This record gives sequence, structure tokens and C-alpha cells, in this order.
Amino acid sequence: MSSPASPSDPIKRPKKAPSAPKQALFAKIFHWINLISLLLMLTSGLQIYNANPVFGGRAGWHFPAFVTLGGWLAGGRHWHFAAMWLFAMNLLIYGIYIFITRRWKRRYASSSDVQVLQTGTNQKRRNYAWHRVVYTAIMPVLVLAIASGLAMYKPAQFHWLSGLFINWQILRTVHFITVPIVVLFTLIHSLLALKVGQFRLVKSMFT
Amino acid sequence: MQSPRRPFTRRHLLQLSGLSGAGLLLNACGAPLYSDQVNQAFEPLNQRVEKIILKPQSLVPEYSASAVNPEALLINSIDGTPEIDPTTFQLIIDGAVNRPMQLSLADLQSMPLTSMIIRHVCVEGWAAIVQWGGIRLQDLAALVQPKPEARYVYFQSADGYYESWDLPSALHPQTLMAYQKNGAPLPAENGAPLRLASPIKLGYKQSKWVTRISFTADLMDRQGYWVDKGYEWFAGL
Repeated sequence: MSSPASPSDPIKRPKKAPSAPKQALFAKIFHWINLISLLLMLTSGLQIYNANPVFGGRAGWHFPAFVTLGGWLAGGRHWHFAAMWLFAMNLLIYGIYIFITRRWKRRYASSSDVQVLQTGTNQKRRNYAWHRVVYTAIMPVLVLAIASGLAMYKPAQFHWLSGLFINWQILRTVHFITVPIVVLFTLIHSLLALKVGQFRLVKSMFT
Repeated sequence: MQSPRRPFTRRHLLQLSGLSGAGLLLNACGAPLYSDQVNQAFEPLNQRVEKIILKPQSLVPEYSASAVNPEALLINSIDGTPEIDPTTFQLIIDGAVNRPMQLSLADLQSMPLTSMIIRHVCVEGWAAIVQWGGIRLQDLAALVQPKPEARYVYFQSADGYYESWDLPSALHPQTLMAYQKNGAPLPAENGAPLRLASPIKLGYKQSKWVTRISFTADLMDRQGYWVDKGYEWFAGL
């Protein structure tokens, strides 16, 4: 499990330097497609937002063009309702994967992580617990993004789903709120990954 | 920490990934960025799903009268409000039908009135709960008797607006030719004397000031005012 030290390496590495963690192929593919599809969903979503801002309507504040995708409302919708398949199918397949491999039991936050955060003193273990809790918490937010989006996209055929959100303004707000949450999550998740496993952990997930 | 021999350090990788990410974002820059191609690739799939989930003859649940919010229904129009004399108004129904007809407003108002309180959803993102009253399009279809080959319905408006619908959506029991809004006669800016109203299509499909309804076997090149500009044709809710 020791890393192959380069013979010309002037710095003597500790004997038991951890090797780069190996990531499951499914987890890597999920990360790539999730990152790309969310970027498309967010930018095209802000294009759609600008047609009638959730806050303030037509007179409300609009997002600057450089964070939008599609050029106009129809173009934003084309991108949004194409990338939605990529985003949702990726999440569905990954969900099935973590369910049948029972990865959700091993790799996601459990009561032991909560316990560590409450009483643990080992900083490394605490960082790892935070990391697990944060990436576990984003999963329901991603599902909520799809549910609220579907409730707005097909409110008549899925009226039972739209009904859960009480009214249209709440539905629009919930769907929109997933944007800042996802952006904030991406930042915190990256920082925690760096803290827990340095850059080699981040690299291991994408290469 | 890095060996000087390694030409590609993790710092380089970080810089590169940052740059390519920024490049992707900058490319997006409010540009259409292949949205037409993306639409051509995915619209057939989305339309197939929309047709599958459409329940042609089951009612979309309605709202209570207290839920109606008149101020939420914004006015959109391509060219102001056309002036139509309701006393001389004639609705033409023709095309692939056995009995083409011309109906006056009095003829239409003598037919069974259907009232519904539904959510009107605009493509722009806003929505309003509205009460509409009018004649079911399926009742009008029963009068003119569409031929078996009829698969689409065209709506021509007095202001030059035009739209086309798939037949199942047009024959949905909540697709109305409306002449009442929120318990009162339909105001001119909302489409008087006669407009489309339905909970199963986006607002731009619900033509105002409708003067002619034509049943057709095929979709024509001109599918709809906004559709021809790039918005999706089916636009089901």
C-alpha cells in the first residue's frame, strides 16, 4: 500500500505514505456527468429565471448574461429540458448502483459520524465525518430539484406532485433555492475533500 | 514537495481545470450555444413522453373559487388588442370535417356552458388561477364531425396569431373555447369574444381572439406564432 517513491526524489517520504485512493468507476462517472449536467441545468435555469424572475416578477433583478445559457427563453428551455435527462438519469443510475452495492451503508453518513461530530476529539475523524454528512445531505436536495422541476414542467399531469408545494410561488422558490445550495455545496464539498484527502483524493474521483 | 522532473504538477492540473471551467462558462455567455441542435436532438424524446403522460379524457383537478387570483394573470399579445364586433362575429370551423360550420356568438352561447377553475401557466414562468367559462372544443367537434384522418387542429386569430394542437389535447374535456373569465364576460385584452383555455397546455398555445378552427390531417409549415420562432410545439403541462 506504499506509494512508489521516485528514486530521484530528494525528499524522503514517510514509509507508510498512503497511496492515491481508488475510486469505483461508477462513482467517477457519476461525478463527471453530475458536474457537467448541473452546470448546464444551472446556467439554462437562470436563463429561464430571467424571463420572469421568481423574486419581483418582470420588474425583479435579472441574472447577468454571462451566467446564462441558451441566449433567450426558448434556448434556455431547450438546454434545460435536454440536460434534465442527463442529470436525472445519472442520478437514478447512481442511486440504483449505491443501493444494490449497499454503498449507501458504507460510504454515506451514519450514526457513527453524527456521534463523532458530537463527542469526537480526533480532528481527522471529525473532518471525515463532516465530509460524509455534507455529501449525504446534498442527495435529497438533488432529488428535490428534480421533483420541484417536474412539478413545474408538468403541473397538470403531475398535479399530486405540484400540490405538495402548496402554491406556484413556493414551488418556483423551492426549485430556485436548489441553485445556491448546489453552488455552495460544490464549494464546501471540494474544500472538505481537500481537507480529508488532499488533492490526490479530488484527483482520484475525476481520473 | 514536487520533484523538479515532473513537468505536469498538480498545480498545473488545478490551473488547467480552472481555466477550462472558466472557458466553458465564458462560452455560455448568454449565447444560444447550439440550443437549436440540442432542441432537435431532445424535442422528439420530450414530445413522446408528453404524449404518453397526457391522459386525454381525465380531468385535471380544479381549484376553489377563493383560489382565483385575477391580478396574477398578465396580458401578453403580439400586436395590441384587435377590435372585434361581437354582434357580427362568426367562428368558422372547417378543414377535415363532415359538416363545416359558421357560428355566431349567440349560437355558441346557446350551447352547454362549461366552467372550470384551473391554473394558467405561462412559458415565462408565472402562473395564475383563473375561472374560465365556455364551450368544450369536443362539443364543437361533435357538431362538425372531424373525419378519421384529422389529427391536428389549427386556430387562427383576428390579430394574425396562429397555433396548432394535437387532436387528443384539443378534445380534452377541459379544453374550452372560452367567453367568460372569473365570472364575467371575457375582457377584450384577454381574448374576447372567444379564446382557447386549457389546463393542459402552456399559455402561448391558448390563442386569444380565435376566428377560425380547422381540423387537418397533417401539421403545416406554420405551426404556431411562437413555435415558428423556436418554442416547443407540444408544450403540454
